[in-house]
Amino acid sequence: MKINHNFGIIYTLLAVAQMVICNYFRISPYLYVTILPAMVLCIPLKVNTAWTMLIAFITGISVDFLSGGVAGLNTLALVPVALIRYPVIRAVMGQELQDKNDRISIKTAGPVKVLLAAILSTALFLAIYVIADGAGARPVWFNAARFGVSLICDSLLALLIVNVLNPEIR
Amino acid sequence: MAGNRKILIVILNAAIFIVLEVAALSMLRNNGELQDTWVLKGFHAFYASLWGKTEQVKYYFSLKKENDRLAQENFSMAVRLRHYMDMESEQMACAADSAVASAGRYDSTYTGRYSYTAATIAKISNNRQRNYIILDKGSEDGILPKSGVITAKGVIGIVDAVSRHYSYAISFKNAGMTVSARIGMQGPVGSLVWDGIHTNGAILTEIPHHLPVERGDTVYTSGFSSIFPPDIPLGTVGESEIVDGATYEIKVELFEDFRALRYVTVVRNNGQEETGQLTVRQES
Repeated sequence: MKINHNFGIIYTLLAVAQMVICNYFRISPYLYVTILPAMVLCIPLKVNTAWTMLIAFITGISVDFLSGGVAGLNTLALVPVALIRYPVIRAVMGQELQDKNDRISIKTAGPVKVLLAAILSTALFLAIYVIADGAGARPVWFNAARFGVSLICDSLLALLIVNVLNPEIR
Repeated sequence: MAGNRKILIVILNAAIFIVLEVAALSMLRNNGELQDTWVLKGFHAFYASLWGKTEQVKYYFSLKKENDRLAQENFSMAVRLRHYMDMESEQMACAADSAVASAGRYDSTYTGRYSYTAATIAKISNNRQRNYIILDKGSEDGILPKSGVITAKGVIGIVDAVSRHYSYAISFKNAGMTVSARIGMQGPVGSLVWDGIHTNGAILTEIPHHLPVERGDTVYTSGFSSIFPPDIPLGTVGESEIVDGATYEIKVELFEDFRALRYVTVVRNNGQEETGQLTVRQES
């Protein structure tokens, strides 16, 4: 499993950025800003699902422990994103991209497809995160509002993350 | 080969996913009180569902045992009922009967003129002209030849031969077997025989044609037989026709479904020998 060094460094820096976001950017209780699903989506396609899940687990656990939140929340939500990464990419962008072991980029797939894949991944992440964070103590409307607002914001942010992590665009 | 590899990869991914998620859940439980309660609640719901399903499976496999228990309970209650009916009809508050009944020994129970034994059908034939039944009770259980086999819904047959552990009974669904039957509780008495065609069809004969017969009336055992006790419901009156200008021949729809039979009661008339001897003496 070889991952481009630049990708590794940027990925690590983005993980640190997520920790900073978690610690200092608490804009509203209805908004949870996360770039983690987009980061997992951008892991090169030559990395298989098992390794992707392990990378997602390590990323999640690092963010959890260093961001001062409830440990396990990001990890719990991020591993399923890694599990469904291939099916989502196959469904949205087709088999061809996966066969070429190419990376997801706006240039190769187009902004709409990338956004759609980001929405699906982020939706799964947020669904698990919001439910586990609420732990049955928050009303449904609050969870729904938090999910909706966060999904819009994080999906748009995901386009930026894909752009940052994609070496062809840089 | 490629298919096997794919399946292996899927299993491996699923295993890794489960392990990682369980690890994440454990972390979540240890670090948040709310999450701890929430996860525990989820686990409890899962356990409840799992154990509920296994209980259902267990219950399904214990149905036979449950049926046996219910049949035994039903038999005990039927015996109690017959006991009180005997007391009421004969106006005899027999202290000995009460003692026996209250002792709760209902596997083979004496209630006045008749004694009852619960039995299960080991084998039954239904598709012949001369059908038979084999019961799981024999001489060691107190079964004697010429005992009746009944249920709460009708007459089933007569015990013909007895071995130590089993009894052979001639089914009511037998061309040669007749049962003394009465229309209603106070109506005319005739002979009931199987019609030889339908599984729940019988014919009541020898009913005088001047007596009114209503369709839908219930037919009971008359009690004139030395084998069966009176007032066991047998079936309902159906179509009737006058035969030879003298008697009715009435179709009866039986209550008991012989195809679904499993639990029966063997009934023994305790005065059978005495009445038999009396008849023989008078005839000679």
